[in-house]
Amino acid sequence: MLVSLNWLKELIRIPAGVDEIARRLTMTGCEVEEIRRPGEKLRDVFIGKVLSLEPHPTREGLQVARVDYGGGQKTCTTAAPNVAVGKLFPYAPPGGVLADGTVLGVRDFDGVLSEGMLLSAEELGIPDVEVEFGLLALPEDAPRGEDCIAWLGLDDVILDVSITPNRGDLLSLVGIARELYGILPGTELLPLEVPALPEGPWPIPFEGITLEDEGCPAYSLGLIRNVRIGPSPVRSRVRVSLCGMRPISNVVDATNLAMLFWGQPLHAFDLDRLPARHIAVRAAEKGETITTLDGKERALEEEDLLITSGGVAVGLAGVMGGANSEISDDTATVVLESASFDRVRIGRTSRRMGLHSEAAFRYARGVDRTKALPALAMAMAYMRDFAGGELCGAPLVAGDPREPHRTASLRASTLRTYLMSADMDKASATLERFGFSEVRERREEAARTFAVPAARLDVSIEEDLVEEVARVEGYDTVPVRIPPHLYASASLTTLMTALRRLRESAMGRGFVEMITYSFVAPEDLRILRFPEEDRRGNPIAVVNPIAADQSVMRTSLLPGLLKALLRNLRGGFRGPIRMFEQGKVFLRTDGADFSGDGHEEPFYLGGIVFPGRDRRFADDEDFFSVKADVVALCEACAVRPEFVQAEEPFGHKGRTARIRINGKDAGYLLALKPLIGSALDLGAPLYAFEIDLESLVGQVSYQFTEPMRYPAIYRDVSLLVPKATPAAVVEAEMRRFAGDFLWDVRLFDVYEGEGIPEGHRSLAFSVAYRSAERTLSDEEIEGIHGALRSGLAARGYTLR
Amino acid sequence: MSHVLGQVEDLREQCREALAKIGSLAALQEERVRFLGKKGEITRLLRMLGTLSPEERPRVGSTVNELRDEMEMAFEAAKMRLEVLEAEKEEERGRLDVTLPCRGRGWGSFHPVVQVMHEVIDVFLGLGYSVALGPEIEDDFHNFEALNIPSYHPARDMQDTFYVEGNRLLRTHTSPVQVRSMLRWGAPLRIICPGKVFRRDSDPTHSPMFHQLEGLLVDRDVSIADLKGSLEAFAKAMFGPEVKARYRASYFPFTEPSMEMDVSCVACGGKNPSCRICKGSGWLEISGLGMVHPNVLRAGGIDPTVYNGFAWGMGLDRIALLKYDVRDLRFFFDGDVTFLSRGGMR
Repeated sequence: MLVSLNWLKELIRIPAGVDEIARRLTMTGCEVEEIRRPGEKLRDVFIGKVLSLEPHPTREGLQVARVDYGGGQKTCTTAAPNVAVGKLFPYAPPGGVLADGTVLGVRDFDGVLSEGMLLSAEELGIPDVEVEFGLLALPEDAPRGEDCIAWLGLDDVILDVSITPNRGDLLSLVGIARELYGILPGTELLPLEVPALPEGPWPIPFEGITLEDEGCPAYSLGLIRNVRIGPSPVRSRVRVSLCGMRPISNVVDATNLAMLFWGQPLHAFDLDRLPARHIAVRAAEKGETITTLDGKERALEEEDLLITSGGVAVGLAGVMGGANSEISDDTATVVLESASFDRVRIGRTSRRMGLHSEAAFRYARGVDRTKALPALAMAMAYMRDFAGGELCGAPLVAGDPREPHRTASLRASTLRTYLMSADMDKASATLERFGFSEVRERREEAARTFAVPAARLDVSIEEDLVEEVARVEGYDTVPVRIPPHLYASASLTTLMTALRRLRESAMGRGFVEMITYSFVAPEDLRILRFPEEDRRGNPIAVVNPIAADQSVMRTSLLPGLLKALLRNLRGGFRGPIRMFEQGKVFLRTDGADFSGDGHEEPFYLGGIVFPGRDRRFADDEDFFSVKADVVALCEACAVRPEFVQAEEPFGHKGRTARIRINGKDAGYLLALKPLIGSALDLGAPLYAFEIDLESLVGQVSYQFTEPMRYPAIYRDVSLLVPKATPAAVVEAEMRRFAGDFLWDVRLFDVYEGEGIPEGHRSLAFSVAYRSAERTLSDEEIEGIHGALRSGLAARGYTLR
Repeated sequence: MSHVLGQVEDLREQCREALAKIGSLAALQEERVRFLGKKGEITRLLRMLGTLSPEERPRVGSTVNELRDEMEMAFEAAKMRLEVLEAEKEEERGRLDVTLPCRGRGWGSFHPVVQVMHEVIDVFLGLGYSVALGPEIEDDFHNFEALNIPSYHPARDMQDTFYVEGNRLLRTHTSPVQVRSMLRWGAPLRIICPGKVFRRDSDPTHSPMFHQLEGLLVDRDVSIADLKGSLEAFAKAMFGPEVKARYRASYFPFTEPSMEMDVSCVACGGKNPSCRICKGSGWLEISGLGMVHPNVLRAGGIDPTVYNGFAWGMGLDRIALLKYDVRDLRFFFDGDVTFLSRGGMR
């Protein structure tokens, strides 16, 4: 909302400068985003009169004008086609400054000295105000020689105020004036002069207004005859322009100025283009369409409100007029609508159509009904003044143009709870300056009831009154207290605890923490080659993505990490990279249709390890070094993972493991499928892992045993094992046969090649036996270890 | 007699000179044999005792024995000294250039936003707020309706929403967790809800994905003073004890009254009119807050005539921008390792 301080001064007298006004507005809820001074750079611009005009002796198209600007006469050249003897234009003598900062001087045009300049709208910084090409023509009655900057209103200060959606009343000059009166002590309200509405019957036949939908509680029409469509007076055009709208024509500018002033949208119909001399407001029918002023045909729904005439839609109520009845250059008779509409309905229609017109914007935020007639009166008066319109007949009014009476109560106890103090008299005084009036007959010891001003559609409950009182007083005056309600101990949640342990462990192992976008490109998932039945390949789509590469929800952390890696590689990063991320992935739970709850969002931990392209600096990474990371991360959550040979569509066929925790699948560890790696031009193997945090959460509890006082005794076992048998299986078997004194089994050598039969390998383990109570004797060890060896032999292993 | 005693003194002097010259264990061994060996100087002197009178013999004998003990100690000391010297010669040969680079991996690096999130959590955890988490794909009820933002409400224009299949949306704020927590636990309630949120927006200060931390306290007789107390404790913990706070009236559909909290500029403290961070205003917008709207309590199944409360929301990314002086929000999600490891080589 752009607020003209000059215009505002017609309504209130403010005992404060613009900075203080802006500060107060900002602190009490209307953030002033900018203070504009449109004529800030202009200097020495006067209303000049062209006394004589002659062609430039040598230059085609250039004329030499003699100008009287009050301070004397000057000669200057101009090429403007609309310059004429006797007409008035803005004139800046040498030393004058244009809106863009250009300082004028004396210039020599082929022997003619041109002093200063006759000015166009653009040179004054108000290009919108131009109605004809050339100079900005001023009316005959403009005071020659006067300061043109002030006369045009370019000495104005414009506040760009951000109005929150609850305060529709502030989308108007009267609303801002009332607000300033409430928040700035010492502000004086000046008498508000509302032009009188014409009286009597309409001099033309008109059947009237029918309201067929409760979405329109009040509707009024004014009649203006014999208008001559043309531009508004220049100063009105400047005002419209400074308030952020484009000057269009005298009739349209009249409605816009009245709207800027009262906050009440108005719409002008060309009477002769209405299909019938009748207006009806009704709900649209399904399948109905309307072509709006912007030339677009719009499909309607039953929730939309229509203005119709003779059964034909002539306006989309509160949003935009219809093209069929709009004002044109030859319009002679205007019927002017000033109506009240249900904000919910207008809001829905405007949102659905993406049509955020000034009218819809205001209606959706609430326009109280009492503004309709004063705004109508103002617009009609402007049409008389700007377009020579003849006001004849009292406006037709259907429905009730009054706001229902509303009250709200404020208890001292509530005020005390919220603000820690309760000065009810002060509260009353504050509210009364906002236009609330206390209903004294309902005053109780500790509660007061107030009639809510019609404009304040945002106020209905006690908390709203608390806010009015508090924002004027200032929240900074409320004391500061640590809530006495915070008496119980707080919990971090088991998930967050696990997240923290993992995060710190990962950083300790050299991982860089990442956050990548939760949405990815479908292509990012496609390269991972998920088969049809794998739900990770069937992501949940974003309906209205901002970009194609953010159009589906990630089903894995890997695509984001891969993308980050590639970006780093493209950026010339050569060193080793280890990255990890903790975050949610989004998976369907009930097939493709995604009905019902339809999805789950487990928290994952994902990591990638890339040894680097530059072998000279590459870290010595392989599957097992990364496996050590995974084990360490799990152990940070007191979990020991198991690894099972497995497959993933994007995993190296022989180097992919499923991570199992407490007997359940918890994720994968793998070397990226070399085909994918070369397609991405990685230039080195890549290791990746993902773990569902669910399997790590809540596991953190450590158990300690007694210190071991007696030494362990070690024996080695070396076995011939078929290649397909995993070492973990052999180790498990050894644990089975080793008896109660087994303390540790550790693989120390894997060998295949010379001396080992085809299809086999040799595994060598060190086995430790130990007792908590005593030192085991050689005889005992021989017995136990012998049992292990024979057990293994019986299972078909060849002992070496 | 005196000739023997004289030889003792000579021998002591010889031994001292010899030991001073020795530079290796091998040489030491040779000298030891010369003085203390079976055919050495001491043995020779002891043999001479036989030439003395029985009266002289004990005194001279004990003098020679003293010399022998003294020599043995001196040889032992020299041996220890030489052993250390020889070992250190070996160490000298193994000297390393300690300025060569390290092998293996160093410390990784934290993500500024995650780091800030955990720091903020810790502040509120210390005050007594528990963490609550909720889904990122939400429905209209929890994200809007229950927060007093019905479908027609103009406040929906304040947040441009991403929708996903099945008529669901990506939560535009962490506030739905408030609703879920109220419905699940009822009052009293003291929670913070950190997490990712999504809005259709992308420029240097807006990312389509960012992070918020929401707080909610519902109990009896809750005051704006309590809200200020919680947030100022946070601001001081996060930005330093000298930081000042101010409150501007504002509007959110889910709170009434509503306000915004600014803190004094962390960069210039309000002293630099051309400060890049606060743009000369001296203040930084840090949080939106207010007293929970009775309609929201009702939607959460809590009786607003018995309980009231406050809620606040803050952008963690923005705090990270301020704290680490980062220029563009989108840097956080590009995954640039050089940026994330703060310009380091790894």
